[in-house]
Order: sequence, then structure tokens, then C-alpha cells
Amino acid sequence: MSTGAKKRIMREYNECTADTPAGMKINFDEQNMTEWEILLDGPDQSIYAGGHFKLKMTFPTEYPFKPPVVSFKTKIYHPNVSNDDKGSMCLGMLRADEWKPPNKVVAVLRLIQALLIEPNADDAIEPSIANEYKENRKEFEKNAKDWVKRYAK
Amino acid sequence: MTDLATEDEREEELSTLQSIYPELSIISTSPLVADIDIAVAPVKPLPIVFGSEPVRYRLSYLPSLRLRITLPAVYPARKPPELALTTTPSWIPNHILRALEDVGRSLWEEYGGMPILFTYISHLQEATETAFGLADSTNTQSLQLPDDWKATLLEFDTTERREKFDQETFDCGICLEPKKGAVCYRMERCEHVFCKVCLQDFYSNAIIEGDVNSIKCLDPGCGKTGDATADRRKNARLLSARELLQIPLGWDMVKRLAEMKRKKKIEADKSIVNCPRKWCQGFARSEKYPKITDATLLENDPNSEPEEGSEHPAPDADAPAKSEDKIGKRPGGASTDRLAICEDCNLAFCCVCLASWHGDFVYCGPRKEAELSEEDQASLNFILKHTSPCPTCSVPSQKIHGCNHMTCYQCKTHFCYLCSSWLDPGNPYQHFNNKKKKGCYQRLWDLEEGDGGGDDVRFGGARGAVAEAEFWEQEALRIQMEEIQVHDNGGGNT
Repeated sequence: MSTGAKKRIMREYNECTADTPAGMKINFDEQNMTEWEILLDGPDQSIYAGGHFKLKMTFPTEYPFKPPVVSFKTKIYHPNVSNDDKGSMCLGMLRADEWKPPNKVVAVLRLIQALLIEPNADDAIEPSIANEYKENRKEFEKNAKDWVKRYAK
Repeated sequence: MTDLATEDEREEELSTLQSIYPELSIISTSPLVADIDIAVAPVKPLPIVFGSEPVRYRLSYLPSLRLRITLPAVYPARKPPELALTTTPSWIPNHILRALEDVGRSLWEEYGGMPILFTYISHLQEATETAFGLADSTNTQSLQLPDDWKATLLEFDTTERREKFDQETFDCGICLEPKKGAVCYRMERCEHVFCKVCLQDFYSNAIIEGDVNSIKCLDPGCGKTGDATADRRKNARLLSARELLQIPLGWDMVKRLAEMKRKKKIEADKSIVNCPRKWCQGFARSEKYPKITDATLLENDPNSEPEEGSEHPAPDADAPAKSEDKIGKRPGGASTDRLAICEDCNLAFCCVCLASWHGDFVYCGPRKEAELSEEDQASLNFILKHTSPCPTCSVPSQKIHGCNHMTCYQCKTHFCYLCSSWLDPGNPYQHFNNKKKKGCYQRLWDLEEGDGGGDDVRFGGARGAVAEAEFWEQEALRIQMEEIQVHDNGGGNT
């Protein structure tokens, strides 16, 4: 990783700590600054309220030319998070062909929060959950809350 | 005493002015003359048309207005200052300059013989904001200027803009550091600014990875309007090679990118063939996409990426006309155009049969028989059976009637229809009287009624002879095989 990239990550971390979106905590290890651990509370106005989620943000060597990789370490029932042990997310600016270098981590964090409040069913990684979200919202909410109880307490 | 006082007053006014405007220069003290250049940068760019060109330029910086002040001995009490305004080139219409000079006089009258130079200069500076009314919002007309001044004025605008830009400070969105304009680059189309190092890193990286489509402005919102289809179109607007060189990206990188783009286009174009030499496989008939050899080629390419929907821009439209031309110039004007020349190894080959070039008049078909249509196969068979090739130019000729001494209609070579050998034009018939030429001896008049192609005629020129020989060889083999079989069977019975 170039010094420029390290400098930028450092700068972004400082920016994040100065202006951390509410309900979020970042664990940063200077020895391994390319992997951030993020603790995220389910936003109050969302069905994930009360849940505590652990996420990992990994910066590729080419950062900021390539997007950071975000994954949920805590299982979550969500159309935009893969329902496997990876818990990966791939939409919007996180997609390699959509990512632009001036995008920032803060913007990514806000995107994640916004998605917890309102999932994007049209750009889903889990089609069945997306379908349920669209067709049977009650069932979806029940499942999501159930998972919060089971995995995110 | 009074004289001294007046002089002091004039000099004092000038020195005060000089401390406000350091660019003011005093040319002479007797008479008292001073020059000052007033920069012209209208708030709204000034629309200008040069000569009869239909293009309207909008310039933000124009050559400065020079004010020459001559102060008479009795200024300010009894005489107004002498004011002369000029520009080089004289882009401001004369009547405007004269009117501006008159303002000075009326100011002096208004102030009743008080020093007025500072007020006057401030007035001029204020007037530059609208380019002296030329760039007024109510004035929709463009300023008409002679063509000769175009270069000077455009260059002035660019240099000033550059200097202004260099002094500004920008936050580079990539390294997130504040950078001086001098180490930044402003995108031509959208005017987004990034630092040069970041742009160089990003684009070089993309070129090395072959990611042609990300060579565009890096601003996340750039080219996004919310309308998905329009966005896709705008997104396709990649930076031109010329702009990349300006950032600047190294020539090697830009060349590599241009070559990738060229290859992509060529691969999508079915009219382009690859060189049949296995070790080469270069492109042939790729004139439409000039090889990238030097920077001038890129400079001439205003936007290397054609707009969507016009996949085949102008060069394609006139391409057929060009190739027709070429065919017309070929001897005989044959309508086939099979000659292809590899751009890399210069091999001349036939793009149909992929053999090295055999001339226009040889009938050939695709290497694979499957690619040959039934009709083509039939005519190929006919040609093989009922024509003789000219020994010089290979054009197939069919004898309609007469003797077997032929003259090629194409290259006038004399040859024998039976064996295709060259005949001496001075004594062509000798060939048919030569006992050594077994196939042709005494056969000048064979097939006098012509090589009609009816099934009854088994002989057909040199190629026919070859075909016949093959037939008899097969026949001999068949008979031989039969005999062996008969023999075997006989043996088995006893």
C-alpha cells in the first residue's frame, strides 16, 4: 500500500472520529489500518432497533482507487446483505464500477445506516428476502426482528 | 510660489496613486506623463465572434486597457487631465474609448477643478466588470472582431486563466489534501479539479489494468442527472487522449490506452481480417483505424469516444467510396477486392483463401469448404474443369472456338490452351509441331468447337487435362484393386 493511501485512510479515520454518525463506533488499529471494525446500533426508526451489529471494513491495496469492502460479521436479515458467513454488501458506491475515489468512508457508513432504515430491494443480493420485503412486508419484519433477537443482542 | 504648489499637487496625486496602484508608472516628469494598465475581467464572459467564423467564444480575460495620463501644468485648477485610452490589439470599439475619455473631462468639471484621477480609475475599473457595456446582460450581441486577433485574444485568456488557477487552492478529493492550482488539473468538460499526482496514479493504474471505461472524471456526481439513460451516455464520455497528455500522463501510457481502444474497435469490426501468419496475426484492412504512431495522431482526434448512437461516424461513411476508387485503379477493374496487407509484417494475402496474394484473377474460395456456398462450389468446379489459366496473370480463360493458340485478353500473353504453357509470340505454332510435347503435338485444332462445358466434352484445357489425368489415375487404381480382389476371391475358392 502506498504512503498516499495510508495517509488518506488515516485522514479519513480522523474525519470519522470527529464526525461519527450517531449509533456507530469505530475500532481502529494503527498496526493494521486497512481493517476497521465498526460497531453499529440498529437505527431507532428501523426494524433493526435494539440490535448491535459488528461490521468489518477492509481497504484494498489500491484504495482509494478501488472501493472498501464491507461485510456484516453479525448475521442480519436484509435484502442487501448476503445471508452467509461472509455477510457481504455490494451495491451503489460499493460496486467497483460505481466507486469513485473521492467517495469517503463516512459516505459509506451513512449508506449502510440508510439501508438499515430503508432496504434497497431493487438492488438486492438476496432475491428471496427482497421478494418477501416487497410482497409480504409483515413476514419480512417478523423475520428481521427475530434475527435481531437471535444474533444481534 | 504658486507654480511650485501646483506642481506639488500633481506629483503628490500621482505618488498617492502609485501607492494604491503599484503598476502605475511615471513615464516623464516634464511634461508629467503616467501609464497604468487596467485589467479587464468581466463578471460575465464576453461573447466574441472572430471574422466570419460561426463559433462564439466566451472570454473571461481580455487584454488590459492602457490609460495614459498627461497632466498639464495648470491641472487640476484650470485644465482637465489629458486622458488617452488604448488596447493592444484594439479590441474595444473606438467610440467606447472616446466616451470613456470624455467621462474624465466631465468628472473634472463635476469636481470643480479637484484632483480626479483616483475617482476616474475606479470608474474605469468598475466599467471593466461589464467589459464597458459589451458584456452587459441587456446586450445579447457578440463583439465582432477580425480573425487575425483570434490567436492573441484566446491565448491571453488561457494564460490569465492558468495564472489565476495556479494561485488558487483546491482540496483534492482523492488524497484529501489541499493543493495549489499549479499542481492540480481542471477537467476540460466538467471543470472538476483534482491534483495531478492522484489523477496520474488513478489513470495509469486503470490503463495498466485495461479498465478503459474508468478513464473519466473522478467526481462521484459527475455526469449524473438522475436520468439513468442520459447518465449512461454521459458516463461513456471518456477523457480524450489529448486531455490525458495535458494532465500530463506519459506518452507510453496514453499510447497504450489508444492501442487498447483501437484493438477493441477493430475486434468489433467484421471487415477487418487477421494476418494468416501464425506468428504475426496483425490486422489488415484497418486503414479506418490509423495505427498509433505519434502524438499528432491523437491531437487530431478531438473526442476519441464517439457519441452513442453514432457508432459509425464520418470516416466510415466515406470508406466505401475510397475502396471503390482503389478497385477502379486496378488493371482490368476487377470487382473482387480480396487483397489484404498486414499492417505489422506487410504480408500481402488474399482475405478469402488466406493464401499469400495470388493476383486479382485467380478464382479462390474460403479455406474451409463448409464456408463455400453451393453456387460458389459449382462455379469453382466449372472453372476447374473448363478453363485454362494464363501462365502470366493466372486469369482463367475459356476457349469458345478456334485453335488452341490463345492470347490472354488480360495481359496479351500467348499460351497453349491444352497445357497452359507460354508460347513465343513470334512463332506460337511451333509448340504444336514439337514431337516432344506429347500432349499437344498435332493437336492445334483439338476441341475446335470450343470448351463448351457440356458433359459430352471430357477435355477442358490445362485444368481439364489435370482433372482427366486424376480421373484416369483413380480409374487405374480402381481396376487394380478390383483385380486384386478377384485374385483374392479366386484364391479363397480353391
